[in-house]
Amino acid sequence: MRPVRLLACTLLPLFVACATARPTPTPSPTTAPSSGYAAKPDFARVERDHPLTPAERAALTPESLSKLSQDEIDQIYARLTAGPIPDGPHQGTVIFARGGSLPRLEEILGGVKGFLAKKAVQDLEQAAEFLWKGKVFYRDKRELRNQITNRKKLARLFKADVSRMRTATIDGREVGLLFPAKLYCGQSLLDSRRESVIIDYFFGDEIDGYLPEIDGIAGRGGLQIRDEIRMVRPGFYLGRAYVAKLFLLNFTLYNEEVAARGGEVREDCRPGAQQVASAGGR
Amino acid sequence: MRKVLTIAGMALLLVLAGSVRPGVGEPGYDTQDQGFRVAEAGLTEEQLAGAELWYKATAGTSRFTTYVFQQRMGVLIDWFRVLRADGRRDRFATWGLINDPACCTPGSPGCPAKSLEETYGFEYCPGDAELLRHVGKTGYRDPACDFKDPGGLGDKQNPCDLEFGTSTGALGFRKFPNPRFNAEAWRKVNGGRLGTWNGYRERKPASPGSTMMVSHLSDPSIEPPFLIGMSCGACHIAFNPLKPPKDPAHPQWENLKLLIGNQYLRSSEIMASGMPTDSPEWQLFSHERPGTVDTSAIPNDIVHNPGTMNALISFASRPHGFSEKVRKWRPVAACPAGADPDACWCEPGKPGKCKEFSEKTEDVYHILKGGEDSIGALEAIQRVYFNIGSCSEECWLNHLTDLRQLDPTQRNFGQTPFDIGQCRRDCAGFRAIEDRLGLIAGFFMTSRPADLWEARGLDDPGDLVEQLDAEFGPGAVARGKRVFVQNCANCHSSQPDPTENTDFRAVNAAGHRIDWLGNDEITPVSEVKTYRCRSLHSNHMKGHVWEQYASTTYHERPADPNLPDPSGGGRGYYRNISLINAWAHAPFLHHNAVGPEICGKPSAATDDLGLDADLYRSPYVKISRQGSHPVYQAGGQAGGKDDCVPYDPSVQGRYELYKQSMAELLNPQQRRPKVSLLDHDIRIDFGPRTFRGRTIRSFKLSVPAGLPAGLLVSFDFKPLVADLVLAKNDRRKLESRLTERLGSAAEAKEKARWLDRLGSRILRKAVFTQNLRLNPDDAYTLFALYDTCTAEIENEGHPFGESLSDDDKKALTAFLATL
Repeated sequence: MRPVRLLACTLLPLFVACATARPTPTPSPTTAPSSGYAAKPDFARVERDHPLTPAERAALTPESLSKLSQDEIDQIYARLTAGPIPDGPHQGTVIFARGGSLPRLEEILGGVKGFLAKKAVQDLEQAAEFLWKGKVFYRDKRELRNQITNRKKLARLFKADVSRMRTATIDGREVGLLFPAKLYCGQSLLDSRRESVIIDYFFGDEIDGYLPEIDGIAGRGGLQIRDEIRMVRPGFYLGRAYVAKLFLLNFTLYNEEVAARGGEVREDCRPGAQQVASAGGR
Repeated sequence: MRKVLTIAGMALLLVLAGSVRPGVGEPGYDTQDQGFRVAEAGLTEEQLAGAELWYKATAGTSRFTTYVFQQRMGVLIDWFRVLRADGRRDRFATWGLINDPACCTPGSPGCPAKSLEETYGFEYCPGDAELLRHVGKTGYRDPACDFKDPGGLGDKQNPCDLEFGTSTGALGFRKFPNPRFNAEAWRKVNGGRLGTWNGYRERKPASPGSTMMVSHLSDPSIEPPFLIGMSCGACHIAFNPLKPPKDPAHPQWENLKLLIGNQYLRSSEIMASGMPTDSPEWQLFSHERPGTVDTSAIPNDIVHNPGTMNALISFASRPHGFSEKVRKWRPVAACPAGADPDACWCEPGKPGKCKEFSEKTEDVYHILKGGEDSIGALEAIQRVYFNIGSCSEECWLNHLTDLRQLDPTQRNFGQTPFDIGQCRRDCAGFRAIEDRLGLIAGFFMTSRPADLWEARGLDDPGDLVEQLDAEFGPGAVARGKRVFVQNCANCHSSQPDPTENTDFRAVNAAGHRIDWLGNDEITPVSEVKTYRCRSLHSNHMKGHVWEQYASTTYHERPADPNLPDPSGGGRGYYRNISLINAWAHAPFLHHNAVGPEICGKPSAATDDLGLDADLYRSPYVKISRQGSHPVYQAGGQAGGKDDCVPYDPSVQGRYELYKQSMAELLNPQQRRPKVSLLDHDIRIDFGPRTFRGRTIRSFKLSVPAGLPAGLLVSFDFKPLVADLVLAKNDRRKLESRLTERLGSAAEAKEKARWLDRLGSRILRKAVFTQNLRLNPDDAYTLFALYDTCTAEIENEGHPFGESLSDDDKKALTAFLATL
């Protein structure tokens, strides 16, 4: 397996698989992407002047989000609340947005180095989608595991005992359940004004079925991965993944059944003081 | 009947005045949290209302110090280490905290709580009967809801948003029941017990064989039983110099004052109490002297700038006639229809409660060390609440620098300005305080000097003069006054053209001192020559987080051309401080550096988990040179763990410390140099983590013990990272940047080559997952290139008076003791 694939393996807990085939309208970005940190609009002001309407939320899809710049995605994320802590399996999508994290390497390095960096990011994205299919939330236990395909190859690669690997059948397909994490309401590393649902791998070793050979990669002795998610609408979440508190990528999570059910939205986490447009509106 | 009512009424008044307040275990104890009435006896109800806010109001700080600081900034506070009930005896000696006289240790005689299991290991304090019932549950009714606004609530914000909670046992630190607490999870991590936090806070290797130590303090999935918040009293409640406690570990309310500033508090150690000693957070921010705090450590400006809690004494005599251009929000009767809320805003549902943003020239105070917070006294008081964490989530965290963010195109690479209007709209705690700032300011105006003659129990100031003349020589006080007029009064008097006939202790009709004994004018730091880093504080500059709390006049200040470090935009000055009650407030200067070092002497060197209880580290150094840079050896002459003066808040203890500090102040050549050094190597993992060959890779940097902590705090590493990238990608651009900075193309070329080599070393180490150890030669090259403040000796400067004769110095010491 090429190095980039190996790198992708390490980032598996971050990735979600794309599953939706919804139309992909895009909400109006509030400002043009800017070149410097100081020129970026304050989230409180963005929210006050451009609250996300229910119609805009309904139009958001993984595909539409993937066409936005990182700052545009940030501004959408900041206008969301955490919503309920999810339950059950969710599929999703990885988004390396232009102007953020790894794609910035192309701009920073430039030339041949930049081209190679861009290629590596593309490989990483493909590898992630190949191996990683989503997350499974265990809301009552405040735990989470990731859905992994090709688990036998992975076990060989990391010299882990595949028979100890938990599995589940999701959408008719058997997947490995790896990279356990704790779930709680906590601080967003992007927008302090309200809490997000945090997916924290730091103490994943305290969760039953932890496989140190593989799961340890995401934990405190490894990459120290921490995800945070906020709800776009019932069943659909926008997430951010961090490595040792450094932002790495965006992802989305989608559960078709919950999305179809819709209904009232419960806020499990602190929604903050600023008025937000209803997340449950349709 | 009438007589009975009169007696009952008198009894009620006495209770309210605290004279016969219920003691521990007596009926009524549980609803009593009124000791401040004893500490500030003699004030009106309105003034006491201000005192109560200062003492109790946290306005939402508990979320900052329980969640935000830990999760967003990654700094852990070990609250149990600091506040555990069984640590009451040593709490003052270790942390400088002042014990709440109203609280009791569970199981002690008369204490309503019989075991630590009932109180989750904390002390039992007034109000806890109700509070403890709500741990792990919603529905707690905060005692602040019962706060009675003098004159009625009117259109003020709901007082519940003041958030009083109950005392933790340490004054100014307040606790709140955590509705998310899960007793089962708590027991699981703490060996089956509710009454200890030791399992939660115990540090263990992150993985077998790892040197990285972790605890469940960094596991937010486990919620503690209490949220801990701070009121302004956390830093300002102090021992009353006029009535010091017999035992500082067991003060009574009459031994306390709410405004002075706690001269012993180790606030930075408290805030980093959950961090390992080899972490940058502990090594860089926990070297501040007792009684000082770096209020720009959290809204970090990459400048090492701790300063004392401003002693709030005789506030009514403080100069406030600085005519400056001030942009701020001002009350108006109404806003035009459709007004931009950034220009004019009325609070919904409260007719006539409107504010407009405008610029006017008006008289203001100079509040902070460099005269920052210069838009008005009320606004300056309000900003204190941000220092302790109020409205952090709603208003200011999104404006801070994220030290991990190295990409200048990303949010939080640097600061952006806090928006007062937005905070007013979005944070209930802001409005709850803002609506009552007049009460707090009214309380400030009651502050009176604590004169030495009174502290000694003398009949009048004349008796003190006699004593001082006997000690320092006949006529010493009168001679000292002449020396003062000729050498000091130019800066340290607020009266115009003071002469030998000026009465520096005169009072006005209201009984307040006429002379503030400091004119609060600003002086270029190159003239004062003291440790300059605090004057280079940059958070109030344009584009920085507290921009809106500085006047336009402040922003227009010119740079100090005599400084080696960047200044201007407001930076580069100190205000001329007050000398009122100097006898009670040694050591001296803005960071308590001139005078003996002071320290607590706890009964044990470590706690039950082996963590340090004695936090003193000697800053005295011996200086030698190695090539072009100094080498500091910790300890200095006869220095070491015991080269400090034990905390002694008694009248005699303060006076002795004053005399020793005056001797150092007036004899700069005799000062033993002080430089706070790292006392442990720091290990820093920075940059992206990657994985290859089953090995985690990151850039690891080890900074050796012995380097000055201040130079590292002021090390602006983000431009370095940019330069390292340029060194590899665009050498010409790097040379151009360095030429601009250094003023020499040849030197820029040489430094560019050096940076290229440094980058190669870092990459090589990263590839082989090795640790890069910073050597002192490289460190000083980096400091020279990237530090925001390159000062090293902390107790230098203020040479005024150095040339006086010994007799004049003694006379000046005698005279200042009378002020």
